Amino acid sequence: MNLTGTLFVAALGLCLAAAPAAVLTPRRARPLLAGAATTAAGLAGAAAGVTALSGQGWSARLDGVLPLAGVRLDLDPLGAMFVAVTGAVAVCAAVYGVAYARHGLDGRVAQATPPLFVASMLLVPAAASVSTLLVAWELMALTSLLLVLAEHRRRAAVGEAALWYAVMTHLGFAAILAGLAGFAALAGGETFEQLRAAGLPPGARDAVFLATLAGFASKAGIVPLHVWLARAHPEAPSQVSALMSAAMVNMGVYGILRVGLDLLHGGPAWWWLLVLGAGALSALFGILQAAVASDLKRLLGHSTTENMGLVLIGVGAAGFLASGGDSMLAALALAAALLHVVNHSAFKTLLFLAAGSVLHATGTRDLDALGGLRARMPCTTALFAVGALAASALPPGNGFVSEWLLLQSLIHALPTSGVAGAVTMPLAVGVIALSAGLAIATFVKAFGVGFLARPRTPGAERASESPPAMIGGMALAAASCVILALAPATVLPGLSRLAASLVPGSGHPPGPVPVSGEVTLRLTGYEGTISPLLIAVALAIAVIGLLGAVRLFASRRARRAARLWDCGAGPMSPRMEYTATSFAEPLQRVFDDVLEPESDLDVTPTKESAYLVESVRFRARIPDRIERRLYDPVLAAAGALGRAATGLANGSVHRYLAYGFYALTAVLVALAVIW
Amino acid sequence: MTDSVYVPLLDLACGAFLLTGVLVLWRRDLAAIVRLFAVQGADLGALVIVLGLHKGSAELMIAGVAVGGLRAGLLPCLMRRALMAGGEGRETKPLVNVAGSLLVAAVLAMVAYAVSQPLVRLTPTPATQAVPVALTVLLVGFFVLVTRRRALSQVVGFLLMDNAITATAFLTTSGVPMVVELGVSLDILLAVLVLQVLTTRMRAAFGGTDLDELRELRD
Repeated sequence: MNLTGTLFVAALGLCLAAAPAAVLTPRRARPLLAGAATTAAGLAGAAAGVTALSGQGWSARLDGVLPLAGVRLDLDPLGAMFVAVTGAVAVCAAVYGVAYARHGLDGRVAQATPPLFVASMLLVPAAASVSTLLVAWELMALTSLLLVLAEHRRRAAVGEAALWYAVMTHLGFAAILAGLAGFAALAGGETFEQLRAAGLPPGARDAVFLATLAGFASKAGIVPLHVWLARAHPEAPSQVSALMSAAMVNMGVYGILRVGLDLLHGGPAWWWLLVLGAGALSALFGILQAAVASDLKRLLGHSTTENMGLVLIGVGAAGFLASGGDSMLAALALAAALLHVVNHSAFKTLLFLAAGSVLHATGTRDLDALGGLRARMPCTTALFAVGALAASALPPGNGFVSEWLLLQSLIHALPTSGVAGAVTMPLAVGVIALSAGLAIATFVKAFGVGFLARPRTPGAERASESPPAMIGGMALAAASCVILALAPATVLPGLSRLAASLVPGSGHPPGPVPVSGEVTLRLTGYEGTISPLLIAVALAIAVIGLLGAVRLFASRRARRAARLWDCGAGPMSPRMEYTATSFAEPLQRVFDDVLEPESDLDVTPTKESAYLVESVRFRARIPDRIERRLYDPVLAAAGALGRAATGLANGSVHRYLAYGFYALTAVLVALAVIW
Repeated sequence: MTDSVYVPLLDLACGAFLLTGVLVLWRRDLAAIVRLFAVQGADLGALVIVLGLHKGSAELMIAGVAVGGLRAGLLPCLMRRALMAGGEGRETKPLVNVAGSLLVAAVLAMVAYAVSQPLVRLTPTPATQAVPVALTVLLVGFFVLVTRRRALSQVVGFLLMDNAITATAFLTTSGVPMVVELGVSLDILLAVLVLQVLTTRMRAAFGGTDLDELRELRD
């Protein structure tokens, strides 16, 4: 066994040992033990991913573990990248979780399940046969479902969210199962090698791709299969939200890449235009919902949908360009998508952990009830600011680098990609630009309303800084955000090598890498350079210069204290501040036709006069329009069918027996007639 | 045993097996139904013993004796005890009347005969040619379950089905492994015990064993 194998097996072993250990140890030691083991496993997993990504692959075959098929594992560069990301997220979440668990999450199930969840997420990208993949996938779904349910005694919404999640994830699993099982049957074998070598008729290829795309896209929270995400991610405990939103959704992207590009070797252009379209729709819809959300964790969940949409824009563009024969640009788009996966994982971990800190300190996730945390939780505020900067895709955040690369690939594709490309690519550029703009508004809202200004409720006023372990977990995630932002060259060479080898038609050995450079990143074959470090330095110099000038200018005058101008209305109360809802109101007005918000205004006049108002009640709600149009009719039909079917069951045992008897004789008669 | 003795004996046992099954539909006196069931159990035992004699297999003969003992002795004894405790002597109002039931039994026999033709064609021995008989009893047993109201008739219907399944197993294979047969018999014994307890409980709760009284329990 080489270094990669040793590290990977150590990671899995630690996870699998941590679960029973967490069950057996007493309550006080449990979070520390489970957290330490998961941290070590995450470190080992990340290291295994990095070594495998740099070329030292590893594969194993365990025939005795699963009946009939056995387990096959193979850490190739594609899987290794996702293993590395999962490991890194697990480290941050586990360190954070040690302290977060004191909040009533130190039960046996809540502590024993996270290591298993991490193990399943390490296994999914390492699986090298259909049955191994499916078993790991199902384990991932079940453990995450258990974790979503961890706080079900506290809030009624948890049960509903878990139900949505359970149904959607299992429908997705059924789609993947159907697609891959059909693929394996047609290929005459279920290992990935056999699937790669199989030549399928075009119709079957389309069916396999569409079925697996539906399943994997639902895991990635892609519109219109996103309805579970914004429910389940917020209701899970925060470090689990981070694991789900930063690591588990990536598995959907992994599945699309594995099946579409690796096993099926790319495909017709319309597959990838479909992926691109779904990605564009998700990016816009997700960020719009995030922009008007006032629940902090829900906002982050919608932002996950947006970012996965951006990743799929890159993946779709890569597949589309490769089907047109432009491998270099395809590799660039794919490298950008992979980099965005890494970046998103880094900042989404940070943001969810910070949101958890806020929830821990104030007891609420409602932005309209927060505020004033800057003075009370300075570390959390600073760390959230780093994450918000990254998520809003502005320099010097890390999201900027990957979105810039993505835009470059789309812009350069314009002249060469035919009519379909000439229509799609500008639209995709527009979508990315619009979503980036809305993301800025969203995260300005989240940070400004949540952390700055004055506290709006007593809960926010009583907030205090989180314990060191939680800060530590967030700091690790923030550090990776900063490294990715200033020196993307730490990961880009590996990712662009992977992208170049993954693009179909790149041949052996794969073509030159699409992006290279240490400090300044250069596109291969196209004009375009970017230097994140220099941009950051220039920005820092500009800001420091500006601050210095202001200080210099302001310090010449004597400082004087005066009351803030309040229109003569007396001292200003926190109720006069902007809230998240009011901040998003203009946006909501602009996108009124898309969002279809519902608002309700009740004015109660006093008895004496209709012109004097006693009280005003205002209620606003922004329902998910896709859910309302697409899911509600199906649910209503299922409910109606169920109610109609109760007529069949009138309680008479004889009637129930008669159903069986009639069915049996009908089948027998049919058999007798046919044979 | 030569074929000239074996085939008539086998046919006799199968005929008696079928006849008792159909007669269960005819009689409405619960004590008579239990007696008919006991006779059918004995027929089943005889059927297995005849098969064992023909193949010269001692194991099969032991199985026949055990099956006969259970189904002609122990189970009827348990049911009679339940009957004594209750005192409801008759199947008052079956959902399909006796004449209709007998007609249905004839139709079911035809269906069973038509359906089992492919099975018989596989190995056309005298034993497999008797499979339609077992299948008919199975369907008749199911029909008893569907149309009879008293809990005890239901138990008999259930046991008729089981008798038929056992008969099919012995007729189509050359002897069921002892372990399987033991397991099945034990299952049946337990099922009857449970049903007996249920019957007693029902009587305590509703004052009768008409299953349609259970309708109140819905939702």
